[in-house]
Amino acid sequence: MADKVERLVNLTIALLEAPAPVSLADIRRRTRYYTDGAAESGRRMFERDKDELRHLGVPIETVTLPHSEEAGYTIRRRAYELPDIALTGEEVAALALAVRLTGAEGTPLALAKLAARAPDPTGLPLDATTRVEVQPDPVDAVADAVLERAPLRFEYRSADGTSATRTIDPYGVVQRRSAWYLVGRDHDRDALRAFRLDRMSSRPEVVGAAGSFIPPDDLDVTAAVSGQTIEGVEVTLAVAPEARWAVELRGGRDTGREHRGWPVLMLSGLHPIRDRAWVLGLGGAVEVLGPPELRDAVLAGLRAVMAVHDEGGP
Amino acid sequence: MSAADDVARMLTLVPWLLERPGASFAEVAEAFGVSEGTIRADLGHLDFCGLPGLGGGDLFEVSTVGDRVVLRMADELRRPLRPTPREALRLVVTVDAVAEALGEELPALRSAVDRIRAALDIPERSADVVAPDGVSALPTLRAAVREQRRVRLRYQGRADDAPRVREVDPWALHVRDGTWYLQGHDHGAGERRVFRLDRVAAAEILDQAVLAEAPDELEPPAYVPGPDDLEIVLAVSPRGRWVEDAVTVDEIEEHRDGGATLRLHTDAPRWMASVVLMAAGEVVVRSPASLVAEVLAQAEAGATRYAS
Repeated sequence: MADKVERLVNLTIALLEAPAPVSLADIRRRTRYYTDGAAESGRRMFERDKDELRHLGVPIETVTLPHSEEAGYTIRRRAYELPDIALTGEEVAALALAVRLTGAEGTPLALAKLAARAPDPTGLPLDATTRVEVQPDPVDAVADAVLERAPLRFEYRSADGTSATRTIDPYGVVQRRSAWYLVGRDHDRDALRAFRLDRMSSRPEVVGAAGSFIPPDDLDVTAAVSGQTIEGVEVTLAVAPEARWAVELRGGRDTGREHRGWPVLMLSGLHPIRDRAWVLGLGGAVEVLGPPELRDAVLAGLRAVMAVHDEGGP
Repeated sequence: MSAADDVARMLTLVPWLLERPGASFAEVAEAFGVSEGTIRADLGHLDFCGLPGLGGGDLFEVSTVGDRVVLRMADELRRPLRPTPREALRLVVTVDAVAEALGEELPALRSAVDRIRAALDIPERSADVVAPDGVSALPTLRAAVREQRRVRLRYQGRADDAPRVREVDPWALHVRDGTWYLQGHDHGAGERRVFRLDRVAAAEILDQAVLAEAPDELEPPAYVPGPDDLEIVLAVSPRGRWVEDAVTVDEIEEHRDGGATLRLHTDAPRWMASVVLMAAGEVVVRSPASLVAEVLAQAEAGATRYAS
């Protein structure tokens, strides 16, 4: 393995330093690698090394050499090198703290790359009284396509249990509550959709060229995962004392009125699906006074619950 | 660790060392999140790396004096390799989550993320962490943890009918994939307790310093099944399968129509009843009978109020 590590580093240097694309024969002459045994096994070893380096992000390009039909290889410095990011010592310290707080795998190396030419961290500004756990693993499967703007195809199980193949332009990833979502334009529906990464039942597959789309300027990924809220609608609720905290936590304000013994609270903006479930979850402790469509939806939901639980259900 | 991991680290180690002649092994190891032994092995390899030709004069020059290291003649790798999209997005979402968690306490983190996004061409909208709602007690609890003062909470326990007052010595705030918790010593219970912030109805800082000391290692909050937990069986329709995201399921039996039977345990039947109500008939309690009764009672109480 010692040989291999050195070989991969030296191949990188050789391709970076070559003034023009070089053939495998040139590489053999310059590095003295890939010469053992038959020519074919040397070539295979070179191909494996090239693929491993590409996987690490080393941008090895393959071109056809002029005057011969041979393949030539090169690494352009501009594609390889990370431009300087003018991070301050304080910013490096803050990033180091963030990486330490989460202990997320792989992040120390990414940080070392970004900070390699930045000043050293200046004294950590804060004692870590907040512990943060993030599991960014699911994001890996879609990261390349999101940043390279390439369409993706995958099998997806919807919330209603049906499975279908979806093709989307992946605009971005969002974490909401405990779940990761991919937000993008669904090709078949020609509309913005959010997909939970843990409901993809196949590995997402890139099905188009990089740079195939440009995300819209007014994209709102947060709205895409949270669903639309209808502004300008007031939701009024009569609330039993034991449920009052839950309504207040959601932003409910006291109106000073009472309805059949319970105080009336008001919330601004209606989120038709989420609000119905939320009110249903509060059971008999809340009565929707308006808007009428929410009142009807909640009553219908309560009756449905009673119907399936009477006499042992369906 | 694979050879590829070693190579990825060494391509970054070279520019890092060129910027910091005389860095100690401990400093290098900390910056890269590996052991000093790993760094020594890396340097052993780098001694055999360099310009094509590999004649003695073209190789990198590694010299160590005591616990300090100097790397010379390695200008070919003077700048680090660009992070891959995976590395970049992983770092940005991780740091974003921390920035969201720490709020305004660490402004340098926000500006650092902005610079990284700009340099790596990661637009704001391509990665985001949405702040949870219902955590209005957060600023108060942040201050209490920082100042090490006791707090009085009105807290809705999952098993309680209504919020109860609790006095807590706060030790730490904990965000786990977007859900906030407070850990501390509950004076009523006389032991460590974990509180979910979206169940804190009100919080107030008391004029009393924290007495109970935090243990050196705080276990992350997690549901630990107890001997008194109820065993629950639910039948869910295809449209009700989102409940699998809301509860921890022990066993799933798939139905031919896309629905399923779920078996699980809970220490909080009231909360489970609330989840069943939210599903509006798409989730049916098969057992125990006590939970069926609880669900029916709640639904009837609501429906009666609407009907009358």
